[in-house]
Amino acid sequence: MERSAERTPVVELRDIKKYFGAVRALRGVDLALNRHEVLGLMGDNAAGKSTLMKVLSGAYIPSEGGIFIEGQEVHFASPMDARRMGIEMVYQDYALANNLDVAGNVFMGREVVRFKLGPFGVMDYPHMEKETKNLINRLKIDIPSVRQKVERLSGGQRQAVAIARATAFDAKVIIMDEPTAALSVAAIDKVLDLINQLREHGSSVIIISHRLEDIFRVADRMIVLRQGRKVCDTPVSGDIQDFRERVVAYMIGARNDFAEASPVL
Amino acid sequence: MTTSQDATSAPSPELAPAFDLRRLLRDNIRDYGMFIALGVIWLIFTFTTDGLFVSGRNLVNLVNQAGFIIVIAVGMTLVIVIRHIDLSVGFLAGFLGAVAAIAMTQWGLPVWVVIPMTLIFGILTGLLTSFLVAYVGIPAFVATLAGWLGYRGALGLVTRATGTIVIPNATFNALGGGFVPDIPGLTFLPERHKVTLLLGLIAIILFVVSSIRTRRNTGPQVDSLSTPLFVLKLVVISVAIAAIAWAFAGYQGLSWTAVIVLIVVLFYDFVTRKTVLGRHIYAVGGNPEAAELSGISVARITHVVFASMGMLAALSGILYSARLRSATTTGPLLLELDAIAAAFVGGASTSGGVGTVFGSLVGALVMISLTSGMNLMGIDNSVQYIVRAIVLVLAVVFDVVTRKTAK
Repeated sequence: MERSAERTPVVELRDIKKYFGAVRALRGVDLALNRHEVLGLMGDNAAGKSTLMKVLSGAYIPSEGGIFIEGQEVHFASPMDARRMGIEMVYQDYALANNLDVAGNVFMGREVVRFKLGPFGVMDYPHMEKETKNLINRLKIDIPSVRQKVERLSGGQRQAVAIARATAFDAKVIIMDEPTAALSVAAIDKVLDLINQLREHGSSVIIISHRLEDIFRVADRMIVLRQGRKVCDTPVSGDIQDFRERVVAYMIGARNDFAEASPVL
Repeated sequence: MTTSQDATSAPSPELAPAFDLRRLLRDNIRDYGMFIALGVIWLIFTFTTDGLFVSGRNLVNLVNQAGFIIVIAVGMTLVIVIRHIDLSVGFLAGFLGAVAAIAMTQWGLPVWVVIPMTLIFGILTGLLTSFLVAYVGIPAFVATLAGWLGYRGALGLVTRATGTIVIPNATFNALGGGFVPDIPGLTFLPERHKVTLLLGLIAIILFVVSSIRTRRNTGPQVDSLSTPLFVLKLVVISVAIAAIAWAFAGYQGLSWTAVIVLIVVLFYDFVTRKTVLGRHIYAVGGNPEAAELSGISVARITHVVFASMGMLAALSGILYSARLRSATTTGPLLLELDAIAAAFVGGASTSGGVGTVFGSLVGALVMISLTSGMNLMGIDNSVQYIVRAIVLVLAVVFDVVTRKTAK
């Protein structure tokens, strides 16, 4: 048991299927994520990447299949269930409240209460500010003040706040949906650095991205989905040109490592 | 964060520079603009009415006139913060005021039963609205427009047999026109109301102490005032509180309406700024999807905000009928629009997430001061509406412009 603890995947999805009426968005996907691993998740539009991650983050309930966290089967009814189990999602639009400040966003929905006055919990704001400062220092995020309203931050800074929030509560797994899509080149570098730091701090990360360069730079392993199935699951290696050609071949259906006796067309 | 240009004017580089006027205006004008505007309006009316405007009698009148609008504006602010609107509250206030009057005159209930009962009716009507909005999914504009029609009809029905219902209960009517009694037997300052002065003093001490404590706890920040300005702010507000308390004390002291308004404003200010519930209300206003993903129930917040709106509409109806000592067949006409105007003048935004309790208090005071001051000057009623229209537009333009430059 102890020997296998390191080897048990921190998250495992087994034969996940998800149907929306007649649409079969996921047709049986397996996914295992190890500790200290950055996993790139790729695929064309409608390949099922986002659906799969919404299943893992609790936004969708799978039609069939199981979710296992450190070997234990779990059932998520909402994103909050998943968050309680240490699975955090960084959304493509960051899901920040622009009218609140940085600390307010980091602690949104999980405000620290100093004392209760009847039905009213009085917030411990100095504590939340201090925690946010520590977090931002640890992740080396460049933000002038934790009291800055998010509406005044740049795109890269907002992304950093969203990532900081995902890491604030000892997340085991951080899922990032297109974390670099809306960012400048300089901001992309910072986000990729941040992902490397998360791995060093012991988190596992899943990145959904269209940008092959980003996956190539930070991911240890990649999974390609096509038409709701997994077609590729390999370590990221080789040079970028070779990597690009392989990924495209999987994405357009020219290659499939998991083809069954009767392959899907 | 601090440029070299700033550093030359500031002795300590990590503090905000003290006398960089442009930066100062940019950072603070949005927060204090309305207070300054209110001060300017009061100054203008003081000169044009030879001081009549700031006499104790007129100020007391002003607050008593504004009371039932302010409590509605406070509730409306939260409704606007979560991106909704409530058009039904004017006739709801009239209807519930009439229900309170009927409960006292026809059902024979004592006033200490009638007031909580009316407030509970208000909460229930608010929950009816939020059921339609949050559960059924009807836009608040439509749901409360239906309420506007429905409560108008309900008010007409309950007053049909009697017409205007005269309220004979002195305790109830004191809420709208009565004054806090003074401590008997005190001989110093015979012309002034001692309880009012004492409350003013307590208010100043609490305000100064809590401001200093907040500042000390959090330390200097990019968005906080520099020390001389902070002291200036403390002095200005303390003097303002003292002046108002002195003026009130020179007439008959604090009215019960003023006491109720103060309690409502302080309580809602506390809830919105300091509590988890308040934070969730603003999170829902800022980004409902993100709030829901963070485990905040948008439906629950919608229920709470509309229930509070309903309760404050009931309170407004009580204050209004107590002030008139009767429940009329039409209720406070256009009250809902006055409250919405007050909230927007006070800095609330239609896009949600923005607006404060104190802002709406000031917004309501601005609008009611314009009415009161122009009445004293004998300005034609139609012209008054146009002036208020211009002030409303200016306030919102000011808000939009400062918001843009802030970015």
